[in-house]
Amino acid sequence: MSQKYELTLKIRRHDPDTGQSWVQDYRLIAGRILRFVDLFQKINDEQDPTLAWNSSCEHGQCGTCGMKVNGKAVLACELLVENAIKLFKTQTFTVEPLTVAPVVHDLVINMELAYERVHLVKPYIIEAAPEHPEGDEYRISPRVLGTYVEATRCINCFCCATACVTQKNYLGPNAMLANIVRLMDPREAAKQERMDILYGNQGIPRCHTARACSFVCPKEIDIAHFIGLAKEGNFK
Amino acid sequence: MGRKLQIDSVLRTEVLVIGAGGAGLRCVAEICGRRPGTTIVAATKMYSPQKSHTSTAQGGMAAVDPNDPVDKIIYHMFDTWKGSDCSADQNIIKKVCESGWEQVLWLERHGMHFSRTEKGRIAKRPFGGHMLNFGEVKAFRACYEADRTGKGIMDTVWGESLKHGVVFLNQSVAAELLFRNGRCIGAIVFMEQNGKFVAILAKATIMATGGKTRMYQVSSNCRQNTGDGLALVLQAGLPVMDLEAVQFHPTGIVGPGILASEALRGEGGILRNKDGEPFMEWYAPTAKDLAPRDLISRCVMTEIREGRGCIHPDHNLPHVWLDLRHIPEHVHKTRLQEVCSFFRKFVGVQPECELCPVTPTAHYQMGGAPTNEFGEVQRDAEQIVPGLYACGEFAAASLHGHNRLGTNSLLELITMGKVVGERVAVYLDDAEDPGDVPKDAGQHVLGRFSRYLESEGKERYAEIRDTLRVLMTEKVGVFRNEKGLTEAIEELKGLKDRAAHMKLSSKSLAMNQESVRFLELDHLLDVSMIIAQCALARKESRGGHYREDYPNRSPEFHYHTLAYMTEYGNVTLGRRPIDMSIFEARGEHYEKFGIIERKY
Repeated sequence: MSQKYELTLKIRRHDPDTGQSWVQDYRLIAGRILRFVDLFQKINDEQDPTLAWNSSCEHGQCGTCGMKVNGKAVLACELLVENAIKLFKTQTFTVEPLTVAPVVHDLVINMELAYERVHLVKPYIIEAAPEHPEGDEYRISPRVLGTYVEATRCINCFCCATACVTQKNYLGPNAMLANIVRLMDPREAAKQERMDILYGNQGIPRCHTARACSFVCPKEIDIAHFIGLAKEGNFK
Repeated sequence: MGRKLQIDSVLRTEVLVIGAGGAGLRCVAEICGRRPGTTIVAATKMYSPQKSHTSTAQGGMAAVDPNDPVDKIIYHMFDTWKGSDCSADQNIIKKVCESGWEQVLWLERHGMHFSRTEKGRIAKRPFGGHMLNFGEVKAFRACYEADRTGKGIMDTVWGESLKHGVVFLNQSVAAELLFRNGRCIGAIVFMEQNGKFVAILAKATIMATGGKTRMYQVSSNCRQNTGDGLALVLQAGLPVMDLEAVQFHPTGIVGPGILASEALRGEGGILRNKDGEPFMEWYAPTAKDLAPRDLISRCVMTEIREGRGCIHPDHNLPHVWLDLRHIPEHVHKTRLQEVCSFFRKFVGVQPECELCPVTPTAHYQMGGAPTNEFGEVQRDAEQIVPGLYACGEFAAASLHGHNRLGTNSLLELITMGKVVGERVAVYLDDAEDPGDVPKDAGQHVLGRFSRYLESEGKERYAEIRDTLRVLMTEKVGVFRNEKGLTEAIEELKGLKDRAAHMKLSSKSLAMNQESVRFLELDHLLDVSMIIAQCALARKESRGGHYREDYPNRSPEFHYHTLAYMTEYGNVTLGRRPIDMSIFEARGEHYEKFGIIERKY
């Protein structure tokens, strides 16, 4: 069998019935390759079934399990015990919910509210560009696709929005990215509407180029690069 | 301290969709396109539809372009028929394969970011079981978006739903269907966040709740895939079909069962045993590592059983190796970007220069709620349930019979999603108002939650859940036999009894995740009983259902299994004929659609 570690998780809790918040310590022994989602499951199974947290696919594709560990916004399914110990140089971890929406229960926040920022930027083709003359698919060269395909990998986990230095009155890095994708997508004809969103008062003026978004993105998307393109006036 | 639970509010809408994944929302987009202004409520367990399990699908979706110089729709139809082990319905195969390309273009026009060829056209990749010229050589048939095709589909149909103003009821679990005079008029959902019960009355109800393989130890499915939709139809006295057909995907990443897409083998990956031997060459000389999934899973398990597998030191699970070291670097970085990162992230292995540990993972449900070719849910082989529809993985029209080819599921989501949307749009024009909430509404769901709140027993949820998983994996898994299945059925009854004596730690239902876990466990136990009993009754091997005591396919079992269960353990079995309309039409190549051998 392989290496096991003694861990202490200091989890920020909140009870919706009493309105109380507090930090609760959980001690557990875990194998090196367990993910933090496995740790929460272990806590539910062995110590405290009331600890509330969210996850779904548990392999970094759906973006459901975002939270802050030792202050850093991460996907709990991608943080392995052994890597966490190396990264944070400790076996004690503070765990808190993301900051982009009010807390509902423990690590569960009201993500529906956070998602409204993404809905605002209309994550779809608003107005389709004219079809290809042959009537089948648009032609998009791999080189053109290559300029924005990385940005399409965003799963709206809101880690970037949590790490961002602008927490209020801002669409947030992920919503900005969704808008920029369609600005760069040749199939979108509603460029002016998208430019208005991009440079509106909840958009570019709010970004202070701290680049925290790129730093924390679990999908390793260079979000700041795309917002930087906007700042340099690359879109017309 | 008996608190009386009740229906807290009533919502009225024209269409209720249960499950907001790829199929459900493709259906919604079709209804909105044909009948703008239709009121639609989509209920999902997730906090946003974008988080549905569809978003994790990787490899691609098969579709033949009618202008393709070498590929033909009839080859795709043949591959699907052969892949199903002669139990898919041919009218469905024809319908889906013929409309595939049109639906791919729909996705592309609505903004899906397909990977492109040099000329800027939609690119194609090979996939297991898809061949040219009736099984001669691999076909480049699957359209894809890198290795996140599911995400592309999900984002596209979700975007369209937002555009049309669909109302989403997030974090809600459908827990009881509503009927009036045999017609489905909606459902009661439990709202996880505030612990309230909402009755939704609708003219048409569409179920698209996806898969259910969380009762197995190693599963590729997300935590929410617990068979809720199946439990709902069973509860209503309706049948489920072909549940014994569970697909075990051969390459799950050891431990959590994360899927390592078939695309890895499509791009050249090779399976090796502990001695480094490329064992698929012996079992499937032509298709080798691109043979269909059920075949490869059995080969992997055979290698493991015969002592040629390895044991993973961290997870203590047996496995074989997937060799990706010879694949060019640019392919690792572009076409296999996501899935290669899984090996790095979750096992600490570099696929460019190390072997990757893989093991069969419970992946897909071929069966489901039986429907006709329009997605109308059936109450038996002849009659439908007015007002109730199903599409996607949850439904069994059936496109896949007893085994599904890779890339045919994503194809099914968009083709059958559109078919149901089209049908519902027509139904709505003449459909009567559903009326008020029936007097006896809620007896199932409110009774169940009352029991959870009142139970003072000492049973532990985690223990029952883990026992269930080990039981299902060992006795109702890749290899099955009469003794194991009979034992499993008895043990399941014991587990269901124990589950009635679990106690909730908190008696408030607001954001009480434990109560939802209890509900999901009940549903998993229900579905597991059906799988075990259907597997016992089918005394042959067909597709994903393999009996060691009956290793061959038998013409005696040339039908779909129907199963009904309103009282736990008391399963009534029925049959639905397999549609052979392509064979019977006696057109060109009709003989390929008879009862054919399944060798690769």
